[in-house]
Amino acid sequence: MTQLIQSLIDALSGGAVLGLAALGIGLVFGVVRLANFAHGELITASAYTLAFTWHLGWFVAVPLSIVSAVLLALLMEITTFSRLRTAGPATLLIASFGLSFLLQRVYELAFGNNVRTAPVAPALARSVEIGGLRIQLLSVTAVVVAVVLLVGLRLFLTRTTMGLQVQAAAADFTTARIVGVRAGRVIGVSFVLSAVLAAAVAFVLMAQTGAVNPTFGVSITILALVGAVIGGIDRLSGALAGGFLVGFASSMLSSWLPQSVVAFRDSYVFAAVILVLLLRPSGLFVTRATTERT
Amino acid sequence: MIGFLRARLAPAWSLVGLLLLVWAVTLVASLLGSSMQLQAQYALVNLVIVVALFMFTGTSGVLSFGHVAFVAVGAWTTGLLTIEPALKESLLQDLFPFLVDLNADWRLAVLAGGLVGGIVAALVAPFLMRLNGLQAGIATFALLGVVNEILTFWSRIGPRSGQSMVGVPDVLGLQTTLFVALAAIVAVWLYQRSRSARLLRATREDGPAAPAVGINVTVHRILAFALSGIVAGVAGGLFALTNRVVQASQLNVELTFVTLAMLVLGGTLSLSGAVVGAIVFSALDILLVNLQGGITLGAYVVSIPQGTRPIVLGMILVLMLLFRPGGITGGRELAWPVGAPPLPGVPVSGRPPQVTDRQPQVAGRPPQVTITRPPA
Repeated sequence: MTQLIQSLIDALSGGAVLGLAALGIGLVFGVVRLANFAHGELITASAYTLAFTWHLGWFVAVPLSIVSAVLLALLMEITTFSRLRTAGPATLLIASFGLSFLLQRVYELAFGNNVRTAPVAPALARSVEIGGLRIQLLSVTAVVVAVVLLVGLRLFLTRTTMGLQVQAAAADFTTARIVGVRAGRVIGVSFVLSAVLAAAVAFVLMAQTGAVNPTFGVSITILALVGAVIGGIDRLSGALAGGFLVGFASSMLSSWLPQSVVAFRDSYVFAAVILVLLLRPSGLFVTRATTERT
Repeated sequence: MIGFLRARLAPAWSLVGLLLLVWAVTLVASLLGSSMQLQAQYALVNLVIVVALFMFTGTSGVLSFGHVAFVAVGAWTTGLLTIEPALKESLLQDLFPFLVDLNADWRLAVLAGGLVGGIVAALVAPFLMRLNGLQAGIATFALLGVVNEILTFWSRIGPRSGQSMVGVPDVLGLQTTLFVALAAIVAVWLYQRSRSARLLRATREDGPAAPAVGINVTVHRILAFALSGIVAGVAGGLFALTNRVVQASQLNVELTFVTLAMLVLGGTLSLSGAVVGAIVFSALDILLVNLQGGITLGAYVVSIPQGTRPIVLGMILVLMLLFRPGGITGGRELAWPVGAPPLPGVPVSGRPPQVTDRQPQVAGRPPQVTITRPPA
């Protein structure tokens, strides 16, 4: 029983992290129809910043890591994606795939292939015991960070003019422009928001592992992208829920699969993904009304 | 008379010209020393993968990240069939007993690689081919993930995780690789002229209209996927015999990226694009590798820093997408060199063709059609 609760807590934090990553991808997708493979490189950029600046204190490192992700996101948007507005989603996907590959190689050239380590937030690695349960502070932090960001994002999207414009653009870009939403600004804001989410993911992952290498963000991005698509990448809530589900499921699988097959964990996740795509191509959490509109 | 000849020769030229091009480039490479020969051999293997990728993606317009999975399966099959049984027994202890004893001539092994690649593709196609656009891309990516993980970790069919299959015999040679690559080009060219491929191109050009005139999109996609799986499997066999070490980590996302970049560089929508893209990309790649090592030009040694190569290659893909999304060929086939009329069925308009599932925006609203159900 305790083992079950323990694995549930781990799975919650795993789901929270992937949910944040998927939400970051979903935010950009909603506005510019771009399934951004290079989201992982935003995570990596912020993780490197954390690793290099942590010794200056968290109050320097954390803001810097956010800034670095935001700058990189804006750079990607200005140099590449803004020039591909009229291209189809497949072209955008290939472009972001190329950008992701390119940035990984740039990291390799700049920081080397080996891992860079830094004790990011070592206090979080401790665990507390409550009634026989060993709860890692980090798991709690992951969930708390996710909840805080989600509430903040929700407030931003529903209570501010800019947020409403982002929502409008995500729902129907053409119509939003017709009624006076400034396209460039909204797209910029969505990239910035997705970068902030990427920085949060980087923080949690760095606190977990304490090491970063050039392909740090790749596997989580693939899983998050997959999660966003099966949840329904068209809607923010769908992307978030899908990401959470994939993270939750893969964490549960690694706790409960027998030792002999645990190496195949991702295969089960991917197989489930293909199944979901077949049954609900537009996403698990998408209602019929939204499917018909697109 | 000349017009007649031209009309007959022009379509054939799009094949013969390509074969001559590949042959000539390989010939030049073979004259530049033995290290260049090996690099050319790798380039030809990649060319076959790109041609396989084109066979599906170019014809159907559906993006596939999954073809390297069939390459991996083909390489695995060829590797297992060509490594000496005694060597397999000592190196791959967990292998299924029947796999230990299985051994075949390398020609047969490559064919078997193609067969297994085709079978795997045919098995998954009925599921994957129902999807479109982004979903299809993600699903093929998931396929690559599953296949790669199984090959990495399932030690009953290969090495233990993190290890590789060694001892693949050195039998292939540049010339044989060239012949197989030419054969692959011929096969895909023939497929492109088939009825099924024409219908599939129609579905690519206009998603909603094609089924409306009675084309079964899924069936033709499945056929294209399975056939291209065979070509990819053969490419895997060639890879195993060229690399002589088979390892799952070499047959993963990076190879997917490189081959996709080649296809995009040349132009997704024509066989010439696939071939030209593979040649140009490989030539550039080889040049950069040598530059990283330093090239002696008279009294000077020209060199570029280590690690620049993949960055340049990545930049080229992104720049190509930005400035010439149709690729080098822009979707055209190789044209008859002297004043030939354009080939029938090949887009020649100025608009660069794209692999896309978004419909062109039509100005104004389409006429509203209201269908009311008769009262029950």
